[in-house]
Amino acid sequence: MKKHGVLSVFTDNEKVARFFMLMPAFLVLVGILVPFVMGVWTSLTDKKLYATHSNFVFLQNYIDNFTNPVFLTSLRNTLLYVLMAILLQLPLGLLAAALLDIPSRTKGFMRTVLVFPLLIPPIVSSLIWKTMMQPNSGMLNYLLGLFGIDSFPWLTGIHTVLFSLVIVDTWIYLPFVTIILLSGLQSLPSDILESAQVDGAGPIRTFFAIKLRWLKTSILLILLFRICDSLKTFEIIYSTTRGGPMNASRTLNIMAYEEAFRWSNTGQAMSIVFTLWIIAFVVSTYLMGKWNKSGIE
Amino acid sequence: MNKGADDVRKNTGKLLGTVARYVCYAAFLLVILFPLYWIVTMSLKEYKDIIAFPPKFWFTPTLDHYREVLFGGASFSSVSNMPEFLRYVLNSLLTTGSAVALGLVLGLPAAYVLGRVRTKLNEQIAGTFMSYRFAPELAVILPLYAIYKNAGLYDTFIGLILVHQLIVLPLVVWIMRGFFREIPRDIEEAARIDGANEWQIFLKVMLPVVKAGIGSAMIISFVFSWNNLLFGLVMSGGGTMPVTMGILQTMTFDQIKWGEMAAAAVVSSVPGIVIAVFAQRFLVKGLTMGAVK
Repeated sequence: MKKHGVLSVFTDNEKVARFFMLMPAFLVLVGILVPFVMGVWTSLTDKKLYATHSNFVFLQNYIDNFTNPVFLTSLRNTLLYVLMAILLQLPLGLLAAALLDIPSRTKGFMRTVLVFPLLIPPIVSSLIWKTMMQPNSGMLNYLLGLFGIDSFPWLTGIHTVLFSLVIVDTWIYLPFVTIILLSGLQSLPSDILESAQVDGAGPIRTFFAIKLRWLKTSILLILLFRICDSLKTFEIIYSTTRGGPMNASRTLNIMAYEEAFRWSNTGQAMSIVFTLWIIAFVVSTYLMGKWNKSGIE
Repeated sequence: MNKGADDVRKNTGKLLGTVARYVCYAAFLLVILFPLYWIVTMSLKEYKDIIAFPPKFWFTPTLDHYREVLFGGASFSSVSNMPEFLRYVLNSLLTTGSAVALGLVLGLPAAYVLGRVRTKLNEQIAGTFMSYRFAPELAVILPLYAIYKNAGLYDTFIGLILVHQLIVLPLVVWIMRGFFREIPRDIEEAARIDGANEWQIFLKVMLPVVKAGIGSAMIISFVFSWNNLLFGLVMSGGGTMPVTMGILQTMTFDQIKWGEMAAAAVVSSVPGIVIAVFAQRFLVKGLTMGAVK
C-alpha cells in the first residue's frame, strides 16, 4: 500500500500529515482575529461609517458609553434578559426532561414536536409571537379576555416588553435545554438509581438527591450556551420591537447595530460591541473551565 | 383488609400521577403547536379573516398568499422576472449549501486530529473554536463589513459563505470531534498495520465509520446557517439577500402584508420542519455528542 514519491513526506509521516489536516481550519481561526483586532482599534477612534478619515480618541467612546443613560439602560436590559431567560428555561427544561424520561408510548411523537421551535428560523418565531401579542387584535389578549382578564400590554408596555421577549426566547430555546438535560438523565447509570431505591428513596427525593447532582455537567453546559446566546440576542428583538418602546427592550447588541447602521457611528458601535464581548468572554471562559473540570470529581 | 386499602391508595396515587403527566404533556404540546398552527392558518386566510376580531378559527382557506409570494401573483416566464422571494430562497440554498460544504472540508480533518490526538495544545484549539461560538458575531462582522466593502466582497456569495463559517465551522469541529473520539483504537491500529498512511486512515477508514455523525453535523450546521438573519442584514445587498431577510421585505414602512408574511415564514421554515420530522434522531445525537467531553 505504501507509495514513494514527492508527496511521501506529506502522507507517510504521521505528524506532518496531521499538521496539514489541522492547518486549513486553524488558519480560518487565526484569520477571524484580523477583523477582530481591527475592530478593537476602531473602537478607539471616532470612525464614521462612510468617512475615510478618523481620529484616535483612546477611551473616549467607552467613557461616553458609561455616561450615556441609554447605554446604561441597554446594559441593564441585557443582564435582566439573561437572568429572566435562565430562571425560566432551566426549571421548565428540568420539568420537560423529567417528563420525557418516563417511558411512554407518546415519547417519539413528543420529541419530534419538541424540536420544532428550535429548528424554524428565530425571525419566524418572533413574528408569530408578535402577531399573537398585538395589544388589540392579538390572539393572546383574546384568550385572556375569554377568562375575563384585562388585556395585557405585552410588547407595547415598558414594564412588560422585556418579559414578553423572554417568553419568545423560551419558546425557541426550551427544546435545546430539554434535549441536553434529557440526554444527561438517560446517561445516569442504572445501579446508582437502584441503590437509591433500595435505600427507600421516593421518586421526588431521588430526583433532587441523585438526578440533579448527576446533571451538574449538563446544567453547566446549558448555562454556557444560554447565557452567551441571550447576551447577544438579536433576531428576536430586531424583528419585534427594535429596542422600543422608549428603550425598554434595547440591549447592547441592538444598540451597537443601530449605532453602526442607523447613525453610522462605527467607532462608537465598536466600543459597545466590545463591552458586550468582554462580558461574554469572562462568562464563557469561567463556565467552560468549570464545565471541563466538572466530570473529574 | 388493611393491605387492600393500601393497594387502593397506591393505585389511586399511580392513576393521579399518570393523569398529571398527561396534563403536562398536553400543556407542552399546546404551547408548542398553537403558534405554529396560528401562522399556518394565517398564511391560508384572506386578508379580512386575518384582521378579524375576535380571531377566526373557521374560514375558507385560500392559496393566494403562496401564489403571490412564490409566483408573484401572475405567471413568470424567465429568471429575470422571477418573483423576489423565490430568488431569496435560491440565494439561501446557495449560501447555506456551500457554507456547509466548505465547513465540512475544513472542519472534518481538523476535528479528526483534535478528537484523536488529545494534547494540551489541541484541547486549547478546540476550546478556541467553541469560544468563537459564544462571542457576539458583531465583534467580527462589523469590522469585516469595512474590509468587504474595500475588497469588493460585500454582497457576494463568496463573502457570505466565508462569514457563515462563524456558525458552521465551530459546530462541525465540535460535533465531529465527539464522534471521532468514540472510534476504538483497534480500528486505527489495524489499518496502520496494513500499511495505510494517515490520510488513508482518515479518508478510507475513519470517515465511513462516522457517516452518521457527518449527517448530524450537516443537518445542524445547515439549519442554524439557514436560519441566520444578522449576517444577511450586514453583508447582503440586493444581490444575495437570504430568505430570512425576504420575510422582512413583506413588511414595508407603511404596511405589513400579513398574509404574505405568514406564507413567506412558512416556506422559510420548511428545512427545519423536514429535519424535525425525518431526522430528529440525528439532530439530538449531534447536539448531545457535542456535549460529551
